Amino acid sequence: MTSESLDRDVRLFILQHFVESARPPTPQETGEALHLTLKESAAAYDRLASDHVLVLAPGTHEIRMANPLSAVQTTFPVHIGGKRFYGNCIWDALGAVAMLGGSGTIDSRCACCDEALTLEIDNLELRAVEAVVHFAVPAAHWWDDIVYT
Amino acid sequence: MLLFRSEEHIDRWCEKRGLQRGAILSPATALRLGAIWYADKQSPDWRRKTVDEAQAVFAKLGLVGDFWRLRQ
Repeated sequence: MTSESLDRDVRLFILQHFVESARPPTPQETGEALHLTLKESAAAYDRLASDHVLVLAPGTHEIRMANPLSAVQTTFPVHIGGKRFYGNCIWDALGAVAMLGGSGTIDSRCACCDEALTLEIDNLELRAVEAVVHFAVPAAHWWDDIVYT
Repeated sequence: MLLFRSEEHIDRWCEKRGLQRGAILSPATALRLGAIWYADKQSPDWRRKTVDEAQAVFAKLGLVGDFWRLRQ
Protein backbone atom coordinates (compact mmCIF):
# COMPACT_ATOMS: atom_id res chain seq x y z
CA MET A 1 0.00 0.00 0.00
CA THR A 2 1.38 3.43 -0.90
CA SER A 3 1.44 6.14 1.73
CA GLU A 4 -1.03 8.05 -0.47
CA SER A 5 -3.66 5.28 -0.37
CA LEU A 6 -2.93 4.62 3.30
CA ASP A 7 -3.46 8.30 4.10
CA ARG A 8 -6.72 8.26 2.12
CA ASP A 9 -7.95 5.25 4.13
CA VAL A 10 -6.91 6.88 7.40
CA ARG A 11 -8.63 10.15 6.44
CA LEU A 12 -11.84 8.33 5.54
CA PHE A 13 -11.77 6.26 8.73
CA ILE A 14 -11.20 9.34 10.89
CA LEU A 15 -14.18 11.14 9.35
CA GLN A 16 -16.39 8.04 9.47
CA HIS A 17 -15.52 7.48 13.14
CA PHE A 18 -16.00 11.17 13.92
CA VAL A 19 -19.44 11.20 12.28
CA GLU A 20 -20.54 7.97 13.98
CA SER A 21 -19.13 8.69 17.44
CA ALA A 22 -19.01 12.52 17.46
CA ARG A 23 -15.33 12.26 18.40
CA PRO A 24 -12.21 11.51 16.36
CA PRO A 25 -10.38 8.21 16.77
CA THR A 26 -7.01 7.84 18.45
CA PRO A 27 -4.14 6.51 16.33
CA GLN A 28 -4.54 3.24 18.20
CA GLU A 29 -8.22 2.96 17.23
CA THR A 30 -7.40 3.83 13.63
CA GLY A 31 -4.57 1.30 13.59
CA GLU A 32 -6.78 -1.46 14.95
CA ALA A 33 -9.52 -0.72 12.43
CA LEU A 34 -7.18 -0.58 9.44
CA HIS A 35 -4.70 -3.26 10.56
CA LEU A 36 -1.83 -0.82 10.96
CA THR A 37 0.81 -0.65 13.63
CA LEU A 38 0.56 2.28 15.99
CA LYS A 39 3.69 3.69 14.37
CA GLU A 40 2.14 3.50 10.89
CA SER A 41 -1.11 5.03 12.08
CA ALA A 42 0.65 7.86 13.92
CA ALA A 43 2.86 8.54 10.88
CA ALA A 44 -0.28 8.86 8.73
CA TYR A 45 -1.71 11.37 11.24
CA ASP A 46 1.53 13.34 10.98
CA ARG A 47 1.41 13.40 7.18
CA LEU A 48 -2.26 14.43 7.16
CA ALA A 49 -1.48 17.20 9.63
CA SER A 50 1.45 18.33 7.53
CA ASP A 51 -0.90 18.49 4.51
CA HIS A 52 -3.42 20.56 6.55
CA VAL A 53 -6.02 17.80 6.40
CA LEU A 54 -5.94 17.42 10.19
CA VAL A 55 -4.90 19.65 13.04
CA LEU A 56 -3.30 17.84 15.98
CA ALA A 57 -2.98 19.15 19.53
CA PRO A 58 0.63 20.41 19.81
CA GLY A 59 3.15 17.65 20.49
CA THR A 60 0.54 14.87 20.36
CA HIS A 61 -1.39 12.68 17.93
CA GLU A 62 -4.67 13.86 19.41
CA ILE A 63 -6.89 15.25 16.68
CA ARG A 64 -8.04 18.81 17.39
CA MET A 65 -9.66 19.36 14.01
CA ALA A 66 -10.65 17.08 11.18
CA ASN A 67 -12.13 19.90 9.18
CA PRO A 68 -14.92 20.74 9.12
CA LEU A 69 -15.38 19.00 12.48
CA SER A 70 -13.88 20.11 15.78
CA ALA A 71 -12.94 17.68 18.53
CA VAL A 72 -13.49 20.36 21.17
CA GLN A 73 -16.62 22.31 21.96
CA THR A 74 -16.95 25.57 20.09
CA THR A 75 -19.64 28.21 19.70
CA PHE A 76 -20.68 26.47 16.47
CA PRO A 77 -22.68 23.40 17.49
CA VAL A 78 -24.25 21.64 14.54
CA HIS A 79 -27.34 19.46 15.00
CA ILE A 80 -27.95 16.86 12.33
CA GLY A 81 -30.17 13.81 12.55
CA GLY A 82 -30.27 13.76 16.34
CA LYS A 83 -26.48 14.10 16.66
CA ARG A 84 -24.44 17.10 17.72
CA PHE A 85 -21.12 18.03 16.18
CA TYR A 86 -19.00 21.15 16.48
CA GLY A 87 -17.65 23.21 13.61
CA ASN A 88 -14.26 24.87 14.01
CA CYS A 89 -15.75 28.16 12.83
CA ILE A 90 -18.94 29.26 11.13
CA TRP A 91 -17.54 28.32 7.70
CA ASP A 92 -16.80 24.82 8.96
CA ALA A 93 -20.15 24.51 10.74
CA LEU A 94 -21.91 25.31 7.46
CA GLY A 95 -19.51 22.95 5.68
CA ALA A 96 -20.33 20.19 8.18
CA VAL A 97 -24.01 20.51 7.29
CA ALA A 98 -23.09 20.25 3.61
CA MET A 99 -20.84 17.24 4.22
CA LEU A 100 -23.51 15.46 6.26
CA GLY A 101 -26.43 15.62 3.88
CA GLY A 102 -27.22 19.31 3.47
CA SER A 103 -29.78 19.78 6.25
CA GLY A 104 -29.20 20.75 9.87
CA THR A 105 -29.26 23.49 12.48
CA ILE A 106 -26.38 25.57 13.81
CA ASP A 107 -27.03 27.02 17.27
CA SER A 108 -24.44 29.77 17.35
CA ARG A 109 -24.14 33.12 19.06
CA CYS A 110 -23.14 36.65 18.08
CA ALA A 111 -19.41 36.87 18.80
CA CYS A 112 -19.93 40.45 20.01
CA CYS A 113 -23.02 40.39 22.23
CA ASP A 114 -23.49 36.62 22.76
CA GLU A 115 -27.07 36.77 21.53
CA ALA A 116 -28.28 33.42 20.20
CA LEU A 117 -28.16 33.13 16.40
CA THR A 118 -29.65 30.02 14.87
CA LEU A 119 -29.03 29.05 11.27
CA GLU A 120 -31.42 26.51 9.82
CA ILE A 121 -30.42 24.79 6.59
CA ASP A 122 -32.72 22.58 4.57
CA ASN A 123 -31.27 20.86 1.50
CA LEU A 124 -28.51 23.49 1.34
CA GLU A 125 -31.07 26.31 1.49
CA LEU A 126 -30.61 28.68 4.38
CA ARG A 127 -33.72 30.01 6.08
CA ALA A 128 -33.72 33.79 6.31
CA VAL A 129 -31.66 35.02 9.24
CA GLU A 130 -30.37 38.40 10.35
CA ALA A 131 -26.66 37.73 10.69
CA VAL A 132 -23.31 38.30 8.98
CA VAL A 133 -20.09 36.31 8.80
CA HIS A 134 -16.77 38.00 9.47
CA PHE A 135 -13.36 36.74 8.38
CA ALA A 136 -10.78 38.58 10.49
CA VAL A 137 -7.64 37.01 9.01
CA PRO A 138 -6.66 37.43 5.33
CA ALA A 139 -6.68 34.18 3.34
CA ALA A 140 -2.89 34.04 2.91
CA HIS A 141 -2.50 33.86 6.70
CA TRP A 142 -5.20 31.37 7.68
CA TRP A 143 -2.71 28.61 8.42
CA ASP A 144 -0.31 30.86 10.36
CA ASP A 145 -2.45 30.03 13.42
CA ILE A 146 -5.40 27.93 12.31
CA VAL A 147 -6.93 27.70 15.77
CA TYR A 148 -7.15 31.51 15.98
CA THR A 149 -8.34 31.75 12.35
CA MET B 1 -14.52 33.04 11.03
CA LEU B 2 -17.24 34.23 13.36
CA LEU B 3 -20.93 34.97 13.23
CA PHE B 4 -22.39 38.35 14.23
CA ARG B 5 -25.84 39.87 14.54
CA SER B 6 -24.91 42.80 12.26
CA GLU B 7 -22.03 44.75 10.73
CA GLU B 8 -22.30 47.18 13.65
CA HIS B 9 -21.53 44.28 16.00
CA ILE B 10 -18.53 43.35 13.86
CA ASP B 11 -17.18 46.89 14.14
CA ARG B 12 -17.74 46.90 17.91
CA TRP B 13 -15.95 43.54 18.25
CA CYS B 14 -13.03 44.74 16.08
CA GLU B 15 -12.74 48.03 17.99
CA LYS B 16 -12.50 46.20 21.34
CA ARG B 17 -9.57 44.18 19.98
CA GLY B 18 -7.86 46.96 18.05
CA LEU B 19 -8.45 45.09 14.79
CA GLN B 20 -9.32 46.34 11.34
CA ARG B 21 -12.54 45.05 9.87
CA GLY B 22 -11.76 41.99 7.71
CA ALA B 23 -14.10 40.54 5.12
CA ILE B 24 -17.86 40.22 5.52
CA LEU B 25 -20.01 37.55 3.91
CA SER B 26 -23.71 36.84 4.05
CA PRO B 27 -24.52 33.51 5.73
CA ALA B 28 -25.85 32.32 2.35
CA THR B 29 -22.48 32.96 0.67
CA ALA B 30 -20.68 31.29 3.59
CA LEU B 31 -22.95 28.27 3.13
CA ARG B 32 -22.07 28.10 -0.57
CA LEU B 33 -18.40 28.33 0.36
CA GLY B 34 -18.80 25.61 2.98
CA ALA B 35 -20.64 23.37 0.54
CA ILE B 36 -18.03 23.76 -2.20
CA TRP B 37 -15.26 23.19 0.31
CA TYR B 38 -16.59 20.26 2.27
CA ALA B 39 -19.53 18.50 0.57
CA ASP B 40 -17.23 15.82 -0.88
CA LYS B 41 -14.87 15.54 2.09
CA GLN B 42 -16.03 11.98 2.83
CA SER B 43 -15.45 10.85 -0.75
CA PRO B 44 -12.47 8.55 -1.41
CA ASP B 45 -11.59 10.83 -4.32
CA TRP B 46 -11.43 13.99 -2.22
CA ARG B 47 -8.13 15.84 -2.28
CA ARG B 48 -7.07 19.16 -0.90
CA LYS B 49 -7.62 22.00 -3.33
CA THR B 50 -4.57 23.53 -4.94
CA VAL B 51 -4.00 27.22 -4.38
CA ASP B 52 -5.26 27.96 -7.90
CA GLU B 53 -8.39 25.85 -7.37
CA ALA B 54 -9.10 27.52 -4.02
CA GLN B 55 -8.58 30.95 -5.58
CA ALA B 56 -11.03 30.01 -8.36
CA VAL B 57 -13.64 29.03 -5.75
CA PHE B 58 -13.28 32.42 -4.05
CA ALA B 59 -13.57 34.22 -7.39
CA LYS B 60 -16.70 32.23 -8.29
CA LEU B 61 -18.31 33.51 -5.09
CA GLY B 62 -17.15 37.08 -5.69
CA LEU B 63 -14.49 36.86 -2.98
CA VAL B 64 -11.78 38.85 -4.70
CA GLY B 65 -9.18 41.44 -3.74
CA ASP B 66 -6.11 41.41 -1.50
CA PHE B 67 -7.94 39.87 1.47
CA TRP B 68 -8.75 36.73 -0.52
CA ARG B 69 -5.40 36.38 -2.25
CA LEU B 70 -3.75 33.12 -1.17
CA ARG B 71 -0.35 33.95 -2.66
CA GLN B 72 1.19 37.08 -1.26
